[in-house]
Amino acid sequence: MTLTALLNFNLPIVALLPFVGAVFAAWASKINRLASAWVAAFVTILSLAFLAPLMALPFAGETLIQSWQWIPSIGLEFAFRLDGLALLFALLILVIGLLVIIYARYYLSKKDSMGRFFSYFLMFMGSMLGVVLSENLIQLVVFWELTSLTSFLLISYWQHRQDARAGARMALVITGMGGLALLAGVLLLGHVVGSYNLTDVLASGELIQSHELYVPILILILLGVFTKSAQFPFHFWLPHAMAAPTPVSAYLHSATMVKAGIFLLARFFPVLSGSPEWAWLVGGAGLVTLLIGAYAALFQHDMKGLLAYSTISHLGLITLLFGFGTELAAVAAIFHIINHATFKASLFMVAGIIDHETGTRDMRRINGLLKYMPHTAVLAIIASSAMAGVPLLNGFLSKEMFFDQALTASHTSSWAWGIPFLVVIAAVFSVAYSLRFIHDVFFNGEPVNLPKTPHEPPRFMKIPVDLLVVICLAVGIAPMFTVAPILAVAVAGTLQTTPPEYSLAIWHGFNLPLMMSFVALVLGGLVYFYRKRLFEWHESNVAHWDARVIFNAVLGWVNALATVVTRSFDKGSLQHASVWVIATGLLAGFIGFATVSAPLLGERALLPMDAISILVVIVLILASVLTVTLHQKRLVALIMLGVVGLIVSLAFVKFSAPDLALTQLSVEVVTVVLLLLALYFLPQTTPKETSHFRVSRDIVIAVLSGVGVMLFTMAVLSRDFSPISEFFLLNSVPGGGGTNVVNVILVDFRGTDTLGEIAVLALAGLGIYAMLQGMKLPAPDHDSHGRLWNRDLHPEIMQTLTRLLLPLMTMIAIYIFLRGHNLPGGGFIAGLIAAVALIVQYLANGIAWTNDRLKFDMHWVIGLGLLIATATGLVAMGLGYPFLTTTFTYLNWPVVGKFEVASAIAFDLGVFLVVVGATVLSLVELGKLSDQSHKTQSPLKPQQENS
Amino acid sequence: MNFITPDFMPVLPEIFVLTMACVVLIIDLYLKDENRGVIYLLVLATLVGAAGLTLFVHTPESVTTFNGTFIKDTMSDVLKVFIYLVSGVVFLYSRDYLIERKIFKGEYFALGLFAVLGMMVLVSANNMITIFLGLELMSLALYAMVAFQRDDKNAVEAAMKYFVLGAIASGLLLYGMSIIYGMTGTLDIAEIGTKVSEMPSDNIVLLFGVVFILVGLAFKLGAVPFHMWIPDVYHGAPTAVTLFIATAPKIAAFGMLMRLLVDGLGSLQAHWQEMLVALAVMSIIFGNVIAIAQTNIKRMLAYSTISHVGFLLLGIIAAGANGYSSAMFYIIVYTLMGLGGFGMIILMSRSGFEADELDDLKGLAKRSPWFASMMILIMLSMAGIPPLIGFFAKLAVLQAVIDAGYIWLAVLAVLFSVVGAYYYLRVVWYMVFEEPKETAPIKASFDVQVVMSINGLGMLALGLFPASLIAMCAAAFG
Repeated sequence: MTLTALLNFNLPIVALLPFVGAVFAAWASKINRLASAWVAAFVTILSLAFLAPLMALPFAGETLIQSWQWIPSIGLEFAFRLDGLALLFALLILVIGLLVIIYARYYLSKKDSMGRFFSYFLMFMGSMLGVVLSENLIQLVVFWELTSLTSFLLISYWQHRQDARAGARMALVITGMGGLALLAGVLLLGHVVGSYNLTDVLASGELIQSHELYVPILILILLGVFTKSAQFPFHFWLPHAMAAPTPVSAYLHSATMVKAGIFLLARFFPVLSGSPEWAWLVGGAGLVTLLIGAYAALFQHDMKGLLAYSTISHLGLITLLFGFGTELAAVAAIFHIINHATFKASLFMVAGIIDHETGTRDMRRINGLLKYMPHTAVLAIIASSAMAGVPLLNGFLSKEMFFDQALTASHTSSWAWGIPFLVVIAAVFSVAYSLRFIHDVFFNGEPVNLPKTPHEPPRFMKIPVDLLVVICLAVGIAPMFTVAPILAVAVAGTLQTTPPEYSLAIWHGFNLPLMMSFVALVLGGLVYFYRKRLFEWHESNVAHWDARVIFNAVLGWVNALATVVTRSFDKGSLQHASVWVIATGLLAGFIGFATVSAPLLGERALLPMDAISILVVIVLILASVLTVTLHQKRLVALIMLGVVGLIVSLAFVKFSAPDLALTQLSVEVVTVVLLLLALYFLPQTTPKETSHFRVSRDIVIAVLSGVGVMLFTMAVLSRDFSPISEFFLLNSVPGGGGTNVVNVILVDFRGTDTLGEIAVLALAGLGIYAMLQGMKLPAPDHDSHGRLWNRDLHPEIMQTLTRLLLPLMTMIAIYIFLRGHNLPGGGFIAGLIAAVALIVQYLANGIAWTNDRLKFDMHWVIGLGLLIATATGLVAMGLGYPFLTTTFTYLNWPVVGKFEVASAIAFDLGVFLVVVGATVLSLVELGKLSDQSHKTQSPLKPQQENS
Repeated sequence: MNFITPDFMPVLPEIFVLTMACVVLIIDLYLKDENRGVIYLLVLATLVGAAGLTLFVHTPESVTTFNGTFIKDTMSDVLKVFIYLVSGVVFLYSRDYLIERKIFKGEYFALGLFAVLGMMVLVSANNMITIFLGLELMSLALYAMVAFQRDDKNAVEAAMKYFVLGAIASGLLLYGMSIIYGMTGTLDIAEIGTKVSEMPSDNIVLLFGVVFILVGLAFKLGAVPFHMWIPDVYHGAPTAVTLFIATAPKIAAFGMLMRLLVDGLGSLQAHWQEMLVALAVMSIIFGNVIAIAQTNIKRMLAYSTISHVGFLLLGIIAAGANGYSSAMFYIIVYTLMGLGGFGMIILMSRSGFEADELDDLKGLAKRSPWFASMMILIMLSMAGIPPLIGFFAKLAVLQAVIDAGYIWLAVLAVLFSVVGAYYYLRVVWYMVFEEPKETAPIKASFDVQVVMSINGLGMLALGLFPASLIAMCAAAFG
């Protein structure tokens, strides 16, 4: 592969190389502890090398985009972009990253796993590079979330420390949340622009600002920015993240993590800035953060805590500059980003060195280190002065620009006059805390009770600091020859136009910004001088305010809310669940009913009512109500249920469905017998368990459901529809040779269905038989009043009567069976009647007595039935017709007269036999069960007759 | 009466699975306990065979058979393949669990195959009767599976609840179907579609039908407020069954929803959309909020399922090819994640010990670093953190929702994803930062290790290269 071909992939390689390197770093540590540091350094240099050949492009005013299709259907491209802004950040990430790697190699102790550290570190670096080099916004969000995750890993690097874990968690919760908000913002932005590519988005500033979604977009994106860059009110995670190893802090809080938010502000500056919303939100957050950070930094006793708050304050400064919304302010912001990265990285490293060499970071104990580590002291003093904005250092230059911009901004509106004052106050504190960092640590007497005797660190640990401090000086003294080109390119990349005129000169003459700097330096010195009293006041009044408390309270509150919601919804109660299902159904139905204006009932005229029907309906309602109210007395309830069933069969009669009526009647009888057999094993009454409230609630729901269903049925029935019965009425005689449509459908039109159904019935009967074999249940031997069961199991009169009934019922069954094809009846009903006839014998005479006289086994009956039914079908197949094709003819029987014989009648015979067999078999088995159980339960009872 | 022999080709996979289920039942009668593994292999072979047949009969255009009651199109084929895949992995993960609990029985696998058959019928149904047939075949098998450990009180209670509530829901669904039938005079989904579109959209009876159908669907999917059964059943059922219920049937339920709502009642979209918005919002809010309070990881995942269902519904709400394919993508991704999440609980359980409390996850990273990393991948994917596949599933849905103009829904969904991320990350937290209660590493047989690794790494691999899966879902609605 030639170099030019490789160049086409350069940007993704720059961003993805660290991820590959992370794997190697983890692997290398297994070979040698230090090898992973070398891998990390090598990978970083390699990334720089891949970036180097492209650097000329932004300087030539070109934007490089390298993109590939990733998921075309959701508009996601794998796209990278290199312009001035991206270049500046990529360089910061890589160069400072390299310095931190060198530093960390000496910082980490033997106990710390190098492999894990550098592996996380490289992953984080890759994610950051991904953020700044992304052209596609969704891809940017992906990398953005990765920075949150990897920074979580870095902050929690010392897993055994509780504060590290808590700090990491807080950072992840806050920044992760912001990342999701950013995702939402980016999705909306893409929706408005119609593309997720930055090139398109940056070209649609006016479209976005005039769109109604501008404010939501702005707020969502700013949520991402503010959480990441620790802006008020999300600033509190940053100090807690100081539990991380110092190299991590040096990297995360100078050039990378927190700058990602700032990067995004710069990135969207051309499209989102310029509106009053932008000014208020960005400027407001920036100003508050600037002040809070500067104030709080002074009172930290932990060196890193001071640096943390100072970082917050400087981030606020940069945000405020972007909030001003002018091009010159953006220039100042970019400039300060560079300067802050350099001096803050070096200061963190110094703090790390001191921590490393003394064993503590408490500024009340580490005093007078100048004579122990003079080299480090010089570095720290220069870097702190840069932070304070002392002339001839880089911090001074950008701060002057900042003051200038604050003054310009004060003219913009009547509210803005206070800005310069507030800004100076922040600068005063900034000077004071910088002074404290110098004075407390390196002067101010002797160290107090240090765990280690301090001395200079290894030479290579200082080299990164040396380099950074040299940059601070070089930029501060000769900005035109050092920082000017890259600043110009970055500004051009930010603004997406030619940068405005600005001057990097050190000396602008005696003007207002210089005065402000002077005032800040003097007042800052005074504040520091009177710090003791200020500290006391702070301790007693402000120190106990900690946003962490609020954070924890919010977490606790969310947990409590979840518990409350859980308690009211997650009850694990079936009744509760059914109430919800039904009530919601009702509500949904009601809403649908209330919101639609169309009439509920259709146009069909209602049928006239007659007195008998009304009477029957009243009985039905009464019986239903009684069933429910008397459900605790099971026997009574069962009888009521029987009444309901009988009336339903009457209803079938009324609506000209004698077949259904007959079926319902016979099914009803069999069911009641079945339930009686089952009830035998249960207590006669059920205890009352439900409260009054629940009962009344359920009554309301039940009544409403009933009314709903009624309205519904009326709505359906009062509309015209074309029933399918017409087809069957027309085809029943010519197609099936019978006038009873129901029966013709069962045995002919849908014969295969019926065959399946009787197979199921047969299986069910056999299944019940198989399951109940040898089963014994504890049966009660007395009722709820303590009365024993009647010992006369088979009363004479009943026996005699039922013996008379048998031939009669059999005759009826045969009659119903034969006439079935043309008149109400058929195999199914006939089967049920015959079964009832047999069951009655069993009930009245006992199982053994009946079995003695009934010489055939019900298994055979079932099998024969199935066989006949199937054979009918097969015969048709044998004659060349499809399965179960029927035919019919007319015969003249001697007595009966003309009789129609359809092949379907054979099929119906099969149905008949299966119904008889299965019903009798299962009921008899259930009966046997009670017989068996009873005997085992009450051995004292006399031997029963016939058993 | 004569009838025409239908074209059996499109139904070949269903016929095959049915036959094999019967074969399994019969062979099982003649097997000794120590040879039960034969059944297991037979079931896996059946699923592989069914997948082969499905691919074999696949055609880009849709085919109907059995008088139009059965349809085979790209959507049904893709869904079926994933049903086989997911069910196969379920059986694989469950094997050791079942053996340890002495419920490694032929019935379990036969019921499983019948449930799979039900799902297949469900996603291919083109007639309301077929839909109900598939639904009940699936549900009845599942009810029985929940109660499979007959002497476990919790399992039986869960089965009872599942059955009763399921019956209510089926009843309501059936009610809705009969109303639609009463109004249109047909059961054929396509015909219903045309007839309904010719009726005035404010036909109140039709609307009632839609409400009832939606209730039935919402129950099967587990959307709030029809979700009550999910935590109890997930919690009570043997984990092997929970794993099954939580995954494959969701794919089938999605298919059912598409057939009924989109194909059948598409012209009433404006109405069902409103109802779905309510269901989705409640599911996302309650699912996520209640999940926080759970200490049992099965219950936690149950509530997370509910919130995922909310997300799925968002895709349906967005409508159009974009919305439907994103919903389909989401449900497939969800089942893959659920497979991993519940699979890990199974792996951690041993005989006599259900590792289903959050505490049991403590220190997993120290006990079994590899399994812990797989679980972390799965949890992060569920939380929707890039670049894992879960993120792209959420992204696709959110994009569809925004393009459909429901900006507030998208923002709400994102906000509650934050809440969701909280409890998924808590699991990670427990695994990495807490001290283990016991130090023994997790034992798992080699094949399970391999599949679990594929499952976990798949989250990342699919996340980096999701295009083909998305394209597959898009093809179903192209």
